[in-house]
Amino acid sequence: MEKIRIVNLSKRYGKVIAAHAVSLAVEDKEFFSLLGPSGCGKSTVLRCVAGLEEPSEGEIYIGGTRVNSTADGINVPTELRPIGMVFQNYAVWPHMTVHDNVAYPLKLKKLAKGTIKTQLKDALYTVGLERLADRFPSQLSGGEQQRVALARALIKEPEVLLLDEPLSNLDAKLREQMRFELKDLQRRTGIPILYVTHDQSEALAMSDRLAVMNAGHIIQVGAPAEIYTHPANRFVADFIGLMNFVPGRILARSGEEATVEFLGSHRLNVIDRSDLSGECVVAVRPEDISLSQTGPIRCRVEVRNYSGHLIDFKVRADGAVLRVQTPKTAIYQEGEELGFTIERAMLFAVRESSSEWIGPVDGKPFAT
Amino acid sequence: MTTAKIDRRYLLMMAIGLFILLVILYPLWQVFFRSFVDAGVFSLKSYRKVFSYPSYYRALFNSLWVSAATGALCMLLGTLLAFLVVRTDLPLKKTLRSLLVLPYALPSFFAAIAWIQLLGPQGYLARIFFHFSGWDTAPWNIYSAGGIVFVLTVHYFILVFITVAGALERMDASLEEAARGSGANTFQIMSKITLPLVLPAILAGGLLAFIGALANFGIPALLGMRARFFVLTTSIYYALAIPDFGLATALSSMLVLVALVSMAFQFGIQKGESKYTVISGKAVHPSELKLRAIKYPLFFGTTLLVFFISIIPIFSMFLTALFHYWGAPLAAANLTLGNFVYILKLEAGRRAIVNSILLAALAATITMFVGVVVSYMHVKAKLTGSRMLDFFATIPYAVPHTVMAIAMILAWAKPPLSLYGTLWIILAAYLAIYLPFAVRTTHATLQQVHDSLEEAARVSGAKLFPRLRDIILPLARPGMIAGWILVFMPALRELTVSILLYTHRTETIGVVVYNMQDAGYREIAAALASIVMVLLIVGNVVIRKLTGGVTGF
Repeated sequence: MEKIRIVNLSKRYGKVIAAHAVSLAVEDKEFFSLLGPSGCGKSTVLRCVAGLEEPSEGEIYIGGTRVNSTADGINVPTELRPIGMVFQNYAVWPHMTVHDNVAYPLKLKKLAKGTIKTQLKDALYTVGLERLADRFPSQLSGGEQQRVALARALIKEPEVLLLDEPLSNLDAKLREQMRFELKDLQRRTGIPILYVTHDQSEALAMSDRLAVMNAGHIIQVGAPAEIYTHPANRFVADFIGLMNFVPGRILARSGEEATVEFLGSHRLNVIDRSDLSGECVVAVRPEDISLSQTGPIRCRVEVRNYSGHLIDFKVRADGAVLRVQTPKTAIYQEGEELGFTIERAMLFAVRESSSEWIGPVDGKPFAT
Repeated sequence: MTTAKIDRRYLLMMAIGLFILLVILYPLWQVFFRSFVDAGVFSLKSYRKVFSYPSYYRALFNSLWVSAATGALCMLLGTLLAFLVVRTDLPLKKTLRSLLVLPYALPSFFAAIAWIQLLGPQGYLARIFFHFSGWDTAPWNIYSAGGIVFVLTVHYFILVFITVAGALERMDASLEEAARGSGANTFQIMSKITLPLVLPAILAGGLLAFIGALANFGIPALLGMRARFFVLTTSIYYALAIPDFGLATALSSMLVLVALVSMAFQFGIQKGESKYTVISGKAVHPSELKLRAIKYPLFFGTTLLVFFISIIPIFSMFLTALFHYWGAPLAAANLTLGNFVYILKLEAGRRAIVNSILLAALAATITMFVGVVVSYMHVKAKLTGSRMLDFFATIPYAVPHTVMAIAMILAWAKPPLSLYGTLWIILAAYLAIYLPFAVRTTHATLQQVHDSLEEAARVSGAKLFPRLRDIILPLARPGMIAGWILVFMPALRELTVSILLYTHRTETIGVVVYNMQDAGYREIAAALASIVMVLLIVGNVVIRKLTGGVTGF
């Protein structure tokens, strides 16, 4: 069953369009992320779901109930929506103890003291804060404040949990750790999560599905692996993970297979269901390039960066500079003359990254 | 349900709008409107009167030159002191600095009274002068235009001091170091680099002092009326005593016009100043100028000056309060606490204290309440129309208090609803003049409460009133208490509005001090003023504790 459904949501601030005809659905027990660069409209969508912003157009359903409809003039105020939310700066109230912060939503419901006590205990236990109940937020670390915010969001047993870049204020180590904890928490409670982030690795790591947004539009929705291996257009390919873009030209096409010429006169056969022809962009992930002494495309190692679990190279081949990642065992040195083969590539239309928007290209290319 | 909630916020806004209309807009409109009306029809008669009688146009002229002279002297004194305190190695700079601010915490008419006690014909300093010089008349006269400019300068120079000291502190030291590196000597650096950079701040501060002097009533009233030297504010007072409302409103409109023009200039200069990127908010410690040989002479001079303008007047007030009678020789036998007993036993005195505390507490509470709502609507809820409300609420900032008092008389001292002779009309005027301060402090306070703190409360299920009660107000409390005291204190010793609006039984502390002083009971006036001064100094300490102890959420 769908826990959140957004239909044709648009939000305008004067002449600025923050969100444009956004439609998406979050299933029960699903971890769904909105991913995009800052200013792409992802937070606006989240805030519309929370009722903190009023949509200019569209409908929003939470748990099957319609909470927004511009056509019918419905805008259920935030305080009546069955949601929990964690803010980027946690928004833990500095004048209340951990106990009072977390218990506040129940106090507003005017529940019996006994009920509040048991629920509070559960909530604090869920996030591992039992021992800090009497502390004030100023006595807590960032990670602990975050847990307070989580407990406060969960305690009213909302239909959905909304998270607005909750990890971005934590330091790198804690951030990695919280990824696992958040996902674990979600598996245990089964609460559907709508998660907003600009950090693609975060979104890939945690989400069941994610939507990539840019300039107010949803560009692609899918499972992390699907989006990583089959980006819908050049923007997604560039935004998710690392990608080399090399100009090329489609020479011939037979059925779903296209022959591309790039990097001088090197040729590659690519599975391509698009109708591209002529000039194109060949996109290759750094880990899809294998370096060897004898590879057919000749190159020269310019920079070698050792990063522990892998080695990052910059190689120059026929005027183009490519990023290559190899296992940590690779022995190549800077200045060495090498060759490489391409395991997998994708094709994209040329004009796309310029100001002119030509929409997603349905290309599913594979190298031969 | 949705619509009901939105209506409630707009309902609250409409109520505040009505309040502002009744207390600010309608009264001020009355002033402007009435200055153009004679016997029910449009007429310029009142303005013609101003420009055809020397006593009136001279008041306008006097106001302008007295304020301009004050502004100029303030620029000189304020800049010099700011420079010494910020940019040199003068000893005890911090102590000197906090002492310099002291006179401004006290009402200006107290300053006038204190300087009469010091420099008047029987004044303490005058007597010391007679003793040493052997003369029997002073070569100065405090009851004169010169006396007015002197006391105004002592009271308002701090405005220049604060703006210039701020600019000097924010100035990038590397600019001067670059000049030094290019071979300029200290004097060249100061005149060619430093002075031009802080010039906008000097001018802006000077204009603030000009506006303050222009709107001041207490000083020209106590020092000038006796010498038949009138400025705009005192002429308005005089015109009301006749009473000639046409004349009073015409003079008022002119006073507002001059104040508005100066304020526009001042605003323009400060806006222009922000274009100088070299004066940034960054705290780069500017280099200290070594005073070398003139260090101790300058320190001695500055200390003497601070002693005279900050400490002696307060001391003089307390001393006067302890004398059996004004002019008595300084001897233990002539000292008494009887004046304090007298003023506390005097019915008018007790009444004034009760009235002032009541009025100040009501004014502080109501303006803070309105201020919080206006600021909340503007800063947090960002409702349409809240900006306008905010603007209207800050209008009285530009209106001299004398004019505000007249506005109240015109609006609320006529049938069918005449408040004249009640405390309500004084309260209405206090509300109008202190609302801008309340709005400004609540603005700043609410801006420190991050939006997400309120949003988190909404997500938790808190409606408007619970989240104001549980989240916003507790978080804004320290700032609001400070704001409350910031309104309460000046209202407690208010003179300008009260002197124009009081009648028998509605005296305030300011009125009683003024009348006692004017009637020659100087030791009684000083006793009451001393009580108020102690309250004000304690209040200032409390504010400092409150605002210094809490840093933003």
